[in-house]
Amino acid sequence: MAKRWTCVEAGCDYEFVASDVGSAVEDAQRHIAEAHASFELEEMIEDVLEDVPAAHRG
Amino acid sequence: MATTERQSLDPDVVRKFHFTREMIEGPAYRKYEKAIRKFWSVEDLDFAQDAEDWNRIDDEQKRGLLGVTVRFLAGEQNVTDELVPMLAASHALKRFDWTVYLSTFLMEEAKHAEFFMRWHDRVVGVLEPEEVAQHFLVRGKTVDPSGRFEVRDVLHEALPYYGRRLMEATMGGTKAEIERAFVAFSAAYNAFVEGVLTMPSYEIVIDTTTGWNAFPTLRQGFKLILMDEGRHITFGTYACRVLIEKDPSYEEEVHKVFDAYRGNIVGLVEYQKAVPGLDLNKYQTMKVRHYRNRCREMGVTPDETLIEQILDPSIDFVVGVEAG
Repeated sequence: MAKRWTCVEAGCDYEFVASDVGSAVEDAQRHIAEAHASFELEEMIEDVLEDVPAAHRG
Repeated sequence: MATTERQSLDPDVVRKFHFTREMIEGPAYRKYEKAIRKFWSVEDLDFAQDAEDWNRIDDEQKRGLLGVTVRFLAGEQNVTDELVPMLAASHALKRFDWTVYLSTFLMEEAKHAEFFMRWHDRVVGVLEPEEVAQHFLVRGKTVDPSGRFEVRDVLHEALPYYGRRLMEATMGGTKAEIERAFVAFSAAYNAFVEGVLTMPSYEIVIDTTTGWNAFPTLRQGFKLILMDEGRHITFGTYACRVLIEKDPSYEEEVHKVFDAYRGNIVGLVEYQKAVPGLDLNKYQTMKVRHYRNRCREMGVTPDETLIEQILDPSIDFVVGVEAG
């Protein structure tokens, strides 16, 4: 199932939908590094991913 | 044949076994498996380049870096020492998957303490308590004109307090009392200390050593420790979520903990300001992300007043720092 991740850094509302957990972790870590010069740990990303049913994927 | 044997099983014998298929597919057991797969050893690290780097940096840089690393040396020993109540409570709650995972958690905290002990011994040349204590930044004076905040020693005050409460509940309380005390302990240990307060400190050390192009093994150690901490933090927040879903009134325990130690989190504390030349605003802002994430993981509603205070630039009241 596709996964949605939302950045909760102060002042940031970036979000994306990835096809699987691995891609979501990679994309979230890239966003945190590029947009916030920081890092996010794998488990912390995995634990807040939301399932996105196929019909709701944009 | 198998069905007949199952019908005649003695329940007391069945209770001697804890593994279930559901358990070994669950989040806590998967963290245990990952901890085993990702095992690393301090013995494999080479401290030679760090020792050379130590000899070439100036006294201000030494003071700033030690202000953070000595805090980690103390902190990792303390969290190793304070984890037992969580293990005892997991046993009492009959969560064998939590107990199994916590066996790796405790070993990893001891290993993190070992890493900092070895680094300070081989790089700085200090190990005995009297030697390292000279470099511990002591909170001189807390100035908060509004009187709203107090900066407390969360590691050496909150963890023993919530640990004692959890141990007492485990030894003589009801199941609900153990669960409530577990949420409070985990909120303090995993969510507050590991999951929000300490996260900027990891980045401060990684950014500092990257900027100085120095201390590759210290940086490597911090990254290895962070891999373990990701499991620790999300184990604690997962356990909170499980218990809060069972009884939503436990959520108030999370907010009580964050409220009691609010002063520590709304500003950067002394050791986080010790390294010159860093963009401190970055480390302050990231606390909001970590706080919101811990709340998401626990399934609790973030306290918006806490977020506003973290981001309020006028709140900055830790002064009077001196070593030892």
